[in-house]
Amino acid sequence: MEGAADVSDLGAWLASGYPQSVRTAYLILGNRLDAEDAVQEAYLRAWKSRDSLDNEFSFKPWLYRVVVNSCNSKLRTEIPHRDRRSSADHLDDAMSDDDVSTRFALSHDVFSALGALPAHLRIVVVLRYYADLSEQEIAVAIGRQPGTVKSRLHEARRRLAEHPALRSEASSDSAAIQEATP
Amino acid sequence: MTMLDEETLINALRDVADSFEVSKDGADRILIKARDSTSESGSSRMVGFVRSPSRSRTILAVAAAVLVVGGISLPLMRNEGGPTVTSAAKKVVHGPLVVNGTGLTGATFGSQGTIYYSTASGNPGVVATSAKTAVRAAAGLAPRIESSGSVDLRVKGGRIEPLFATLSKLASGDGGTVISTQAMVGTRTSGHFAYGIVVLQVPQRAFSTLVSQVQRVGHATSINISSTDVTGQYVDLRARISAQEASRRQYLTIMTRAGSISDVLAVQRQLDTIQSQIEQLQGQLNVLNNQTTYGSLTVNLTTSTRQPMVAHRSGLSKAWHDAISGFVTGFEWLIRISGPVLFAVLCLGALLALGRFAWRVTRRRRI
Repeated sequence: MEGAADVSDLGAWLASGYPQSVRTAYLILGNRLDAEDAVQEAYLRAWKSRDSLDNEFSFKPWLYRVVVNSCNSKLRTEIPHRDRRSSADHLDDAMSDDDVSTRFALSHDVFSALGALPAHLRIVVVLRYYADLSEQEIAVAIGRQPGTVKSRLHEARRRLAEHPALRSEASSDSAAIQEATP
Repeated sequence: MTMLDEETLINALRDVADSFEVSKDGADRILIKARDSTSESGSSRMVGFVRSPSRSRTILAVAAAVLVVGGISLPLMRNEGGPTVTSAAKKVVHGPLVVNGTGLTGATFGSQGTIYYSTASGNPGVVATSAKTAVRAAAGLAPRIESSGSVDLRVKGGRIEPLFATLSKLASGDGGTVISTQAMVGTRTSGHFAYGIVVLQVPQRAFSTLVSQVQRVGHATSINISSTDVTGQYVDLRARISAQEASRRQYLTIMTRAGSISDVLAVQRQLDTIQSQIEQLQGQLNVLNNQTTYGSLTVNLTTSTRQPMVAHRSGLSKAWHDAISGFVTGFEWLIRISGPVLFAVLCLGALLALGRFAWRVTRRRRI
């Protein structure tokens, strides 16, 4: 009975956070299949090690920590042996509508620039600007100090702004790039 | 510096991430796997998701590091604390010295017990030995070994003259004799000193015995023994003498048949030359015989005690010298221990870094 109750807990986790986790992993890994694999592995890990949750972490950063570790594992072991970034075909399909083409063009460029970032910078960007974690929560999720998170975020945004695709956006009138304080 | 607007970045990431539908099959697969693992493992649950192979690797790596560090540091620690004599050196210096039967090797002992081996003849051992064995076999001779050496002895007390008698007794006991003795006694600013040289000669068979006996007279600080196989040289001298004697016999035969005075004189000149060469070669053979029959050992004696010339110092002077001596001793001790301490600190730092890394890896993999 206890096992059944635990699995129902896992079901609740999945219902609340699985899609968001997969999308986060997708932004980190750049591939849907890899993202789904990583998240599945991460949820199983998290469920098996759920005893460590109460003592140290709150649930959200803890779960993201497991997901990030799983993504890191894939980045280290599997993905380097093949072409990591799939082409953003789904974005190309969505660009058929003229009204939203400009917006998706920017998204495409951001996605390209994100893929050019080193993994440790890409992770903090995704956790901060997509998963909406605070710097403190990101620090828990990646196992680093908050100051490290802050410096990585600053470095990541600087590199994104210097990416050729986003530089051309900055020179246009799209106002996508502007001065910002770190 | 231009930077991306946060809102733009958030919207762009959201657009990219939301551009596809997440299949619910993935969540179902996770639930199925979780149920399977629950049924397989029963009620046992993993406390912390730690891969046992990784933990084993970490433990093995730490154990290997400890072993390596221990293996390096222990011998270094044991060598600290001043010069030490190795057991092999100690054994040989204070025990009987065994001279190689072929007589091709010698040994030199440094003051700190270091042993240096060298070939006395300078020839490559294996080749030279086999060639000389062949010469001996062809000539049907026993090996002719020429042995010589020197022993430096440090003896207690201020007098070395009584040791001359002891060494002479040792040589005569082995069937030998004392060739020469020399003694110097005097004073230096550092104190009284005595120095002596005794050259002993004993039969070859007793040479190694004499060396070991001499070592017991005092403390041997250096031993240098060289033995050379001169069988080839011996055979060569004998062959040349035989050839010259054959020539002389032929000239004597010719002389009996000489018909004129001039012929007799010419043969006589040749005979004189040959006779001279035979005597010269015979002399060399006699020397070689003597050298291979007797071994020569030079014993250098020095006294180990120093009697300071300035026997008494005043209280202040003594205190001043004691203070300087203590300062120097302390400084030497500080320098001496700085090496192992630095090494230990480095090892400790490396272990701490390794442990911290392993802890972080383990902690990261727990979830």
